[in-house]
Amino acid sequence: MNKTFISFFTFVGTMLGFHYVLFPIMDIREFSWVMNRYVYYILIPITLIVVNIGFRLKPPISLIALMVWVLGYYFYDAILFPPIPWTLFITYMVMWTIGTFLYISQDANTFREFRAPIVKTIIGEYKIARIVVFALLPMLVGFVTYNNIYPKFQEPVELRTVHPAPPATTKVHGKTWALETARNPYRIDNQDNYKNSFPFLDADKNEYMKNVTEGGTIFFQECHYCHGDQLNGLGMFSHVFNPTPANFIDPGTIAMLRESFLFWRVAKGGPGLPNESTPWSSAMPPWEEHLTTEEIWKVILFEFWYTGWHPRTFDTEESYIGQWEKEGKPTGAYSG
Amino acid sequence: MNKIVRLKIGRILFSGLILMAISLPATVFAQEAQPPDVVKTELLEQGKQVYFKRCVWCHGVEGGGDGPSADRLFTRPRNFIQGTFKIRFTDSGELPLEEDLIRTVTNGLPGSAMPAWGGFLKPKEIEAVVEFVKTLVQDRDFNDVEDEEVFVQEFGSNPWGTKEPYHLGVPQEAIDQGKKIFLKNKCFECHGGEGRGDGNPTMKDDWGFPIVAADWQQCWNFRGSRRNHFDPFNIVRTISTGMNGTPMPNFKDEITVEDRWKLAAFVNSLCPRKKMDRLTNKPIADFLISSLYTEGKIAEKIDAPMWAATDHDPLIVDRSAETIDNPRKNYIAMAGQITRGNRNFDPKTDNLWVASRWSAEDNVIFYLVEYHIRFLSTDPEYPDAVAIQWPAKLQDLFGAEKPYFIMGDSKKPVDIWKASFMVQNYRDTNDPKDEGYQLDVTVEEVVGYGFDALASKESEATVQVVDSIFKQGKVSILFKRSLTTEGEFDVQIPSEKFIPVAFLQWSGQHKEKDEYMAISTWYYTILVPPLPDSLYYMPPIMAVVFIGLQGWLVWMTKRTRKMFEEGKARRDFIPDKE
Repeated sequence: MNKTFISFFTFVGTMLGFHYVLFPIMDIREFSWVMNRYVYYILIPITLIVVNIGFRLKPPISLIALMVWVLGYYFYDAILFPPIPWTLFITYMVMWTIGTFLYISQDANTFREFRAPIVKTIIGEYKIARIVVFALLPMLVGFVTYNNIYPKFQEPVELRTVHPAPPATTKVHGKTWALETARNPYRIDNQDNYKNSFPFLDADKNEYMKNVTEGGTIFFQECHYCHGDQLNGLGMFSHVFNPTPANFIDPGTIAMLRESFLFWRVAKGGPGLPNESTPWSSAMPPWEEHLTTEEIWKVILFEFWYTGWHPRTFDTEESYIGQWEKEGKPTGAYSG
Repeated sequence: MNKIVRLKIGRILFSGLILMAISLPATVFAQEAQPPDVVKTELLEQGKQVYFKRCVWCHGVEGGGDGPSADRLFTRPRNFIQGTFKIRFTDSGELPLEEDLIRTVTNGLPGSAMPAWGGFLKPKEIEAVVEFVKTLVQDRDFNDVEDEEVFVQEFGSNPWGTKEPYHLGVPQEAIDQGKKIFLKNKCFECHGGEGRGDGNPTMKDDWGFPIVAADWQQCWNFRGSRRNHFDPFNIVRTISTGMNGTPMPNFKDEITVEDRWKLAAFVNSLCPRKKMDRLTNKPIADFLISSLYTEGKIAEKIDAPMWAATDHDPLIVDRSAETIDNPRKNYIAMAGQITRGNRNFDPKTDNLWVASRWSAEDNVIFYLVEYHIRFLSTDPEYPDAVAIQWPAKLQDLFGAEKPYFIMGDSKKPVDIWKASFMVQNYRDTNDPKDEGYQLDVTVEEVVGYGFDALASKESEATVQVVDSIFKQGKVSILFKRSLTTEGEFDVQIPSEKFIPVAFLQWSGQHKEKDEYMAISTWYYTILVPPLPDSLYYMPPIMAVVFIGLQGWLVWMTKRTRKMFEEGKARRDFIPDKE
């Protein structure tokens, strides 16, 4: 009996000690093969096994079951990263609970051993335990009821489509652009040839960098307040707006879009979005009100050059530029 | 026994004194001159490449702080040519250490457009660009080891051992002493009576551009405070080294190191503790403004005990017994309206603080809106103003649908409650005034079908401003309205429903008018209902039911036992035991 208590308190102590002391030490941001949360987690059962065998504590099966169950709960709740949604959490815990039950009911002996303390508590052979359990459980029930009835108000979740389907055409400054075929008139060469060229320094040397410099100039006059000096969507006003401004460094934004899509989004801004994208909250200006068509294309050219992403095209970039060479400088537009 | 202990203590104290005596000269001599960190020429080429890709846009081709973005920024990007750098461990007027520059580039300058480059650039790239920036300095020379020697300042260490992130637990005594030091050194002349930076409207930086004093109650905007905004060290460093290029001098001769920490503790105590967004270095906005259900009359005075609350997040700093039942203040983030029409790139207000109460009995709702503004307008042509914006036709909105956040759109109008005001007997050069200034408030109710389609309502006026004041750089306005009204374009405010709400603000001194303003995005407000009665009777009922269940379980278990004993039932059969 005494040993059971020792084993129980060692378990509680180990969990607390590990969670509050060792976890912050081992869960460092940079991944390492030794210092990470999973290695940390494995150390807990190892410690428990070593302590229990080392001191010959021989915990009863019910306590072992409790430890196993709690360790599972701890793993899914605090260790597994990234955190899982609660529906999945419940599914996992049901499986884990069934597993624990299978373990204790593996044969009649262990099952009887597991039941014994429970039955003894109920019929009053463990007097103190019965008083404690029978007093605590109704209080717990009362508390849970209170918590459930207490009115709580959390801001409603709003879902929105980040990249809505573009229209077939868009009219900017009197010209109708077919998004299917529109090209950036300033993409006159392969962007990768200018990895080691620099705005301002090389602006006089070639046309591509001249356009990048002009695009960047506009970006840093107009766009950086939201999209940030690093194009990472963390500009000085970015925290104010909801939805938060797009992060162009992220592979999920301009890296997966065509330039014509960007042209449409930049020109029409928040008010040009369909309802699924909550146009009423977007702080993106309809840039056609503030910029010329040429300036919009140059900003787009700059954004790809700065981030190093390549715009999505239907063909390879080479053939995209090749076509330009064949057809002469495209305007990408037709008067409509 | 006692004597021996006392002797021992005496000996320890004595040897401690000797140790201190020995180390004292060491601390004095720590201020010895050292040569500046000379330019590492081998890194210049790499540094130049980084500079012309990342920095040139603000700091300009020659480092003159005149890149394309400069004219629209407040404060302007730093001009490197004179070699004046803000965040240093060296004495006022001296060149910074290389580490200082690396730290500034790595951490950025919160409250300005300068982002943190650590994590974006590699440490080697940051070092290289710092070397290149040193070569942009024309008036000084990092390589002049004789004339440019620097004195690294003494900062002491945090005497209270307070911890990140909130640095709470500084003794009140130290804060009170800090306040005396604040008064004695006349910090209020620039920073204002309560530190909101509202002291001096005429300041200029070294280049003649206007500049304002830091608002101590928004310490997340302190330059050089990134990711540890509440640390008094930031303030000790600034008091010790001054801010080169700005009117902020150092106080190293006026204030001892120990006193600087106390002053820092005072300054630091003014800053509300809020959860910070680690990416943007701003407090996380409180997107839901809960209006507190109130029984009886709601006080129509801002200084009534019913409205008392600190700006702290109640989850971080416990509320006092007097204010625990009051509505909390919600942080509303504001930005310039940079989307439509005449755009405002340097708003004078970063945020509003909003609290609310409602009464079902009186059918009214109150919103207390507060914000910091350093100086108010004295030109009746440009009054200051703040407004609450609602969807005018709440009942017509479907799902998450809202009007356009900038004063509505052609299909979905907004209802704007705008309080414009002029301040009485005020000049922006006045000394701090404890009792504050009264405001002449005019309330206007506007229907917006877009920023360029605004009209005053024709229906009867329903919104009142029942109290208002401008005190030590803070405007407080108490709005009142009936929950239900007659006007066609009045928002009708139901309880227990999430209602979109947004805020607009105009600074008269900055000549803000119409869509040239500061704006928030849509927030939500909800009229929280009174606690249901079932909260008081359901938990005991459930507990009693459960006790009954327990009794039943005991009875069942005991009956089974009895049946085993009487042989009416057989226990489960375990083969290897029998």
